Amino acid sequence: MRIRFRRRVRAAITNPSLQVALDRNAERRMAAWNEAFASLPDVEDLRQRAREVRQHTLENLDHYLERFTRRLVENGVRVHRADDADEACRLAVSIAQARGATLVAKSKSMTTDEIGLNYALQQVGIRVVETDLGEFIVQLRGEPSAHIITPAVHLLREDVAATFERELGMPYSTDVEDMNAAVHKVLREIFLEAQVGVSGVNFGVVETGTLCLVTNEGNGRMVTTLPSIHIAIMGVERLVPTLDDLALMLQLLPRSATGQKITSYVTLIQGPRREGEPDGPDERHVILLDNGRLAMANSPIAESLLCIRCGACLNVCPVFREIGGHAYGSVYPGPIGSVVSPGLFGLSDFGHLAKASTLCGACQEVCPIGIDLPTMLLRVRDAYTKNTPQPPAMRLAMSLYAWLMISPWRYRLAQRLGAWGSRLLPRQAGWLPTLPPPLSAWTASRHFPTFAFQPFLARRKKLNYGAKPMLTPQRQKRETEPFAKRPQSEDVVERFGRELEDIGGTFIRCKEGEAPDQVVAHLRKLSVKTLIAWGEQQPSLNAVIHRLKDEGFEILDPDLPRGSGPGRDQRLADLGRVDAGLTGAIAGVAETGTLVVPAGRNRSQLASLLPPVHLVLLPVGVIYQTMADWMAEGGEEAIAGTSSLNLISGPSRTADIEMTLTIGVHGPGQVIVFCLD
Amino acid sequence: MIGTIQLFVTCLIDSLFPEIGEAVVEVLTRAGVQVAIPQEQTCCGQPAFNAGYRDQARKMARHTIEVLDDTVGPVVVPSGSCAAMIRHGYLELFADDPTWLLRANALAERTYELSEFLVDQLGVVDLGASFIGRLAYHPSCHLLRELGVDHQPLDLLEGVAMAQVHRLEPECCGFGGVFAVDQPEISTEMLKRKLAEINQSGAGVVVGCDVSCLMHIEGGLRHIGSSVRCAHLAQVLAGREATLR
Repeated sequence: MRIRFRRRVRAAITNPSLQVALDRNAERRMAAWNEAFASLPDVEDLRQRAREVRQHTLENLDHYLERFTRRLVENGVRVHRADDADEACRLAVSIAQARGATLVAKSKSMTTDEIGLNYALQQVGIRVVETDLGEFIVQLRGEPSAHIITPAVHLLREDVAATFERELGMPYSTDVEDMNAAVHKVLREIFLEAQVGVSGVNFGVVETGTLCLVTNEGNGRMVTTLPSIHIAIMGVERLVPTLDDLALMLQLLPRSATGQKITSYVTLIQGPRREGEPDGPDERHVILLDNGRLAMANSPIAESLLCIRCGACLNVCPVFREIGGHAYGSVYPGPIGSVVSPGLFGLSDFGHLAKASTLCGACQEVCPIGIDLPTMLLRVRDAYTKNTPQPPAMRLAMSLYAWLMISPWRYRLAQRLGAWGSRLLPRQAGWLPTLPPPLSAWTASRHFPTFAFQPFLARRKKLNYGAKPMLTPQRQKRETEPFAKRPQSEDVVERFGRELEDIGGTFIRCKEGEAPDQVVAHLRKLSVKTLIAWGEQQPSLNAVIHRLKDEGFEILDPDLPRGSGPGRDQRLADLGRVDAGLTGAIAGVAETGTLVVPAGRNRSQLASLLPPVHLVLLPVGVIYQTMADWMAEGGEEAIAGTSSLNLISGPSRTADIEMTLTIGVHGPGQVIVFCLD
Repeated sequence: MIGTIQLFVTCLIDSLFPEIGEAVVEVLTRAGVQVAIPQEQTCCGQPAFNAGYRDQARKMARHTIEVLDDTVGPVVVPSGSCAAMIRHGYLELFADDPTWLLRANALAERTYELSEFLVDQLGVVDLGASFIGRLAYHPSCHLLRELGVDHQPLDLLEGVAMAQVHRLEPECCGFGGVFAVDQPEISTEMLKRKLAEINQSGAGVVVGCDVSCLMHIEGGLRHIGSSVRCAHLAQVLAGREATLR
C-alpha cells in the first residue's frame, strides 16, 4: 500500500493540470472560509459549544442511538442496523430489489462510497446514477471522489468538457453554464424515473428523529422527495441530541465546507408522505452503519469521530494541496482521512497515510470542532509502528539514536563522528550538497549543514553567564484582540431582504392586498403560463391563487399518485414542465435570508423544487433574526410536526466545476419573495 | 524577579549551529538574566516521537526530565518545536504513567520558547539591535499553532532598528522531521512554494525561531543557488552575522 502511495504521490506532483486545480482549490476555499467566518461573532465560543455537543453525544452514543431509533420508528421510518459494509449493502439492495427497482438516483454521500453501494447495486443489475454534479462527473469518468465536499476538485473545466463530450455526446464547451445545463437535462429524467432515491445524512436529530441534509444543488431534495422509496444511509456517530444543537452545527458546517453562511437547502425529514400530502416518498428507510465506528469510539483516536465532514482540513492542508485526494487511496483523504481510514479500514492498509503529514497543525486550527488532528496522526503513527512490520533499518536507527541520546558522553562521541564524517564529504560553502543514501533523499533538493567540531556545550562549559540586573519591563503582555463587535441591531425585515439578495434571491415588499397584482405582474414579465402551487392555505395565498385562475394561468394539480404506474409517470412529466411554483413560508430567518417551507396537507414540495422559478409569499410578521430565535418561538414544534421541511436560502447553486458558481442546477434558479405587510 | 534560567539549547543548535547558541546566551544576558547551561542535556526525543517510535522517545524524554529536574528556574528553549515537545509531547508520552506525568507536568509549566520568554515573562521588546535591510519572518508551525507564539518574535523584530520586517504566510516549509526524508517529493514541493514566497518578499534574510525549519529552508536556498540566507531570531537580536553558519 505504501509503495502504491508513493507512486500516486509522484504521479500527482508531476501532473500540471492537477497542480493548477489544487492551488485554485486551496486559495479560493480559504478566501471563502475567511469571509464566511468574519461574519460570525464569537467563533471560538461556537466551536467550543459544538465540540461539547459532539463529545457529549459520543460519550452517550448507545443511549442516543436507542432514542433516535425509537423516534424514527414512531415517525414511520423503517430503521435497519448494519454492522459492516457488506450488511449495509445487502440491506439496501434487498429493499430496492423487493420493490422491483431498476434505477436508483443517489445524492452525494461519503458513507455510501465507504461501503461501495454503487457496485453492490450494479452487481444485481440496478442502474445507479450519482446526481451531485461533482459525483456525476467522477462517476462518468469511472473515478472515485477526490474530495469529500467537491468530488471533482482535481479537474479543470477542460477535463470536464472532454468528459461530457465523450460520455454524454454533448458538443465540447468549456462554458460552465452550458455544462451545467446539459447535466440538468440528463439528470432531470433520472429524478423523474428513479424508483429509489438514496441519500446520506449530515445530522440525525435525536429528540425529533429528524434526518438533516445540507445541500446546494437541489438533487438531495429530488432524491428524497420524488422516488417512492427513500433510503438514507448514515454512520452511527452522526447524531446531535436536539434541534438547538442542530442549529449550532448549521452555523459551522456550511461556513467550513463551502464558505456559505448557509447552503441553499437544509432539508429536515421526519417521515414518509402523510395522508393529504401531495408528494413525498411512500417509504423511508434509514440504515445505521457501524463499520468500525463503535470500535473506534473506544480507541485512542475516538476524537476523530467528532468530525462533521466539512472538508476544511483538506482545503488547508499543505500536503493535500500537493497530492490531491486520489493519492490517499481512500474514500476519506486529507488529514481527517489519514486518521479515520486506518481507524475504519485497518492500520496495515492505511496506517502509512498518517506519515504523510508535517504535523503543521493547520487542520486543527481550521476544524470547526477543534479536533486535535496532529495528536490523532501521532497516535496512528504510534499504533502503526507498533503493530505492523517496519523497515528493520528504521527501527534500528531509532533505537541507536535513543541509545546515543540518553548518555551525554555517547552523544558527544556521536557529534565528533558526525564532524569527522562531514569532513569526508564534498562541501560547498561549508554545507554538504550530497549525502549518501538514505539521506540522499534530503540532498535531492536541499543542502545539509556540517556538524560543528566544537559543539555549543563544549564551548560553554561554565555554568552561569551574565549577571546584569533585570531590565524594567518595557511593555505589558499584549491583550488578545477581541473579536469584531456584532453589527448594530437593525430592522429585521431589511436585513432579511439584504441577505436574500446577496445570495441571488429577489425581495419584494408590498401590502398584503397588493400581493395578487404584484404576483401577476411578475409572472407576466417572466412569461409564465403554468404553475404548481400550494392548495388552500392562509387567506393571502388563497387570494393570489384565485386571482391567478381568473387571469387564465394554468395551475396544475400537484398531487402525485402513490407507488408507481403510468398515472404517476404522466403527472410527473407534466409537473416537470411547469414554468413556476408558488408557495407560502411559515417563517423567514433574517441572518441568512432563509425561508422555512414545510411539507404538509396541500403543500406541494415540488412547487419549490421542480420549476425554474419559485415565488414565495412571506408574511412580514414571521421573520426572525436568527434560526435559534425561530426555533425558540415555535420552530421546534413546527419541525417535529411535519414529514419534512426545507430551509431554503436563495436559488439552487453549484460550484463543482472549478468552483465556478452557477445558479439553478436542479432546483429553481430564481427565488422571488413577496414580503407582505 | 527572574534570576537564573536554564538554557535547553537543543541538539541541532548544539551539534550543527553552535553560533546560534552563543547568540542566545548573548541575548538572554543582555535582557538581564543569568544563563545556566545543564551540561548533561542531549535531545528532547521529538524526532522519534513524531515518527511513531514512542518507546525510544520516552527514553530521551526521561533523560531530559532528569537533567532539568535537578535545576531551578525557567527553562528556555530557542526552538518552538522542541519547546512544544516538552510542553505537550511529554504529556502525551506519559499519559499512562502517573509518576512521570507529574514530573513532565512540572517541567512543562516552567518551559518557554525564547521569544515568548523575552516578551511575555521579561517584558523585553527592544534589545538594542539593528539590521539594515529586509527581513522575512517565517512563522514556524509548532511555534505558531502549538505554542500560540506569533506576536512575540514580531514585537522583538519591531525593536530592531532600521529593519524592514515582512511576515511570511503561516504555511509549513515542508520539513516535518523524518517526513522530509520519508516523503521527499511532497516535502520538496512544499519547500519550493516557500522559497518562491521568500523570493517574492525581496528579503535578504529569513528569520525564525526554529532551527530545523531554517536549516531546511536555507538548505533549499543553497540548493537553488540563492544568495538569501536564514538566521535565528537570536542572531538578529544579538547583532551577529545574519546567517545560520
